[in-house]
Amino acid sequence: MIKPRQSPLPGMKMVSRSGLRVVPVLAVLVAAVGCGRTPPAAFRLNMVQATKSAAPEAGMEKPWAGWARERQAQVATILEAMFGTPDEPVALAETGLDHAKLALAAGPVRSDIVGRKNGLYREHCAHCHGISGDGMGPTAAFLNPYPRDYRPGKFKFKGTWRDARPSRDDLVRLLHQGVPGSSMPSFALLPPAQVDALVEYVRYLSIRGETELALYSYAEQELGTDDRFPETREFLVDEILTPIVEKWQGAEEAAIPIAAVPANVDFSKPGDDPANRESVARGRTLFHGDGGCVKCHGVTALGDGQANDYDDWNKVIVEWSKEVSGGLAAGKSDAARSAWLHAAEDVIEGDALRPRTIPPRNLRLGLYRGGRRPLDLYRRLYTGINGAPMPGVGPSGPGGKGSVPDEEIWHIVNYIRSLPYDFDGELGVDRPLVAKDRF
Amino acid sequence: MTRLMPVLSAALLVASAAVAPADEWGSIKGKFVFGGDPPTASELKADKDVEVCGKHKLLAEELIVGGDKGIANVVVFVRDKDVKVSPEAAKAAAAKVELDNANCRFEPHVTFVQVGQELVVKNSDTVGHNSNIATIKNPPSNNLIPAGGTASLKFASDEAIPAQVTCNIHPWMKGWLLVRPNPYAAVSKADGTFEIEDLPVGELELQFWHEKAGYLGEMSIGGKAEKASKGRKKVTVAAGGTDLGEIVLAPAVFQK
Repeated sequence: MIKPRQSPLPGMKMVSRSGLRVVPVLAVLVAAVGCGRTPPAAFRLNMVQATKSAAPEAGMEKPWAGWARERQAQVATILEAMFGTPDEPVALAETGLDHAKLALAAGPVRSDIVGRKNGLYREHCAHCHGISGDGMGPTAAFLNPYPRDYRPGKFKFKGTWRDARPSRDDLVRLLHQGVPGSSMPSFALLPPAQVDALVEYVRYLSIRGETELALYSYAEQELGTDDRFPETREFLVDEILTPIVEKWQGAEEAAIPIAAVPANVDFSKPGDDPANRESVARGRTLFHGDGGCVKCHGVTALGDGQANDYDDWNKVIVEWSKEVSGGLAAGKSDAARSAWLHAAEDVIEGDALRPRTIPPRNLRLGLYRGGRRPLDLYRRLYTGINGAPMPGVGPSGPGGKGSVPDEEIWHIVNYIRSLPYDFDGELGVDRPLVAKDRF
Repeated sequence: MTRLMPVLSAALLVASAAVAPADEWGSIKGKFVFGGDPPTASELKADKDVEVCGKHKLLAEELIVGGDKGIANVVVFVRDKDVKVSPEAAKAAAAKVELDNANCRFEPHVTFVQVGQELVVKNSDTVGHNSNIATIKNPPSNNLIPAGGTASLKFASDEAIPAQVTCNIHPWMKGWLLVRPNPYAAVSKADGTFEIEDLPVGELELQFWHEKAGYLGEMSIGGKAEKASKGRKKVTVAAGGTDLGEIVLAPAVFQK
């Protein structure tokens, strides 16, 4: 059982760490204990953002590498003081996280009380999502789509406003359902207490990841070459952590409104049923018109429209790669910038997955990653998909106005439900009418 | 009542004088100049909705240098958040700001909106666009704007640097949105000039930013080389207005 640690800020002596990706302290520890023991798991820094945010200003005189390592070491120290380690997570009271649940999910897989298992995250999640929740576990590079990187706090399939964090229920649903069409399986067979513990741990990894990002963003905008982050409660908790926690806590109250289903929509019947023909026809008009769906999903809805964009996670790497390769090709940089460019090249090659474009979904397959209920499709349409190029047709926030009125979104849902069956013969009579025969 | 009038108007005079004596506010202006041979903007490949977007000759807008070497789209804003706002400058917040999707590009390329001010995102094109606004402190948004449609947005907090605006349907479309807590910001015009009016007289800290260069750390003002860490520059606003003159940026600043 992991004991909750005392809140380490302020006053707690912060352990200084000199290492970055590989912590030398650990190497010494392993040597002392001897071979055959696995070193304790360690969180990895977000090397992409750590490096990207540390571009040197013109005329920087210090050697860049040493300066960057010092800044990264301070970030590692702060994060460990605020969040602990993968084996011993710390939940500051301000995070509102439940320490008992974190303790169940964290650490190596083990059982020291009959009937209770610890280390759930490492048993079920870490091989794809990584110890740090960076979506870069050992299997990640072989999966398409890549596993979610929790650190930016962005989640796709949820019932809250686009920009809002997912609610606990959203994450529980996702664990129950899995993500059809991806490598994410269903965890519906786990006892509810274990699912709850995993949800809490994912929230913990996200809050930790967002804190790290906020530190880099602060450094980029505020800190000069000789400055360090203030190691005070006012800065670390009030200024950096609290706004992040507020977003997570606000998610429980951030569900989008669900319009009443119009009278001419009957989801208990298929799309070619006379009860739905009028609604499906209206949905088709919106799909090709104000909904704008046709732009990316194509006139046939096979996902063969004109889009070849990246999602937010991949786009960061794509855009930064362009800047870095451009800088290296120009070859006119001063010493500090040149050191930064080469470090950036290494990070892009070694600490990031190779970027992939995100194809628009083929809507003829009847396979929906965020769930197949009409309500799931309504939510995808209303807010769009957070982090993906898919825009929303509903308003962007409470009281706003969308490109399609709320209740009309149900007609698009109805049309999408009809697509795997091709009732209107849009694909031509020479093609099989049922999706499973066609693909 | 009539006896009261002179007293009242005198009181009003005193009151208005206390709020805004003419010498309490001044403007800052200047002109950004490219210190080398102007680069030619490369042509963008409009490979989506070609029948609409392909009609326009679209150019990359990341660095626009005019015929007389003026640099467009340099962002200048007052960094001090508690700066006193003149009654004249405060009026701007009531107006709506427009950001148009026109001819498959964002117009203007860099938009400035104040906290709480209404931003109307329009689509004057005959094809649908989406406006993906990657704000950091404010919730990011991504609305689909059908042909001829609009979306209305407001921002609750300021942004430290301009947020990128993109259209995922037409990936070459890039713009920027600056959100500040006061009216004191400007984007340099096609000829490189900018002016921020009705600033409180005295010392202020400005911040300079450009999309290709990031924070402008090195410049030459009035022939004198100056360093500005994170693009920050202390300036003094004089009662009659301050003219920074030509602010020359070396080509190296943009070669990142």
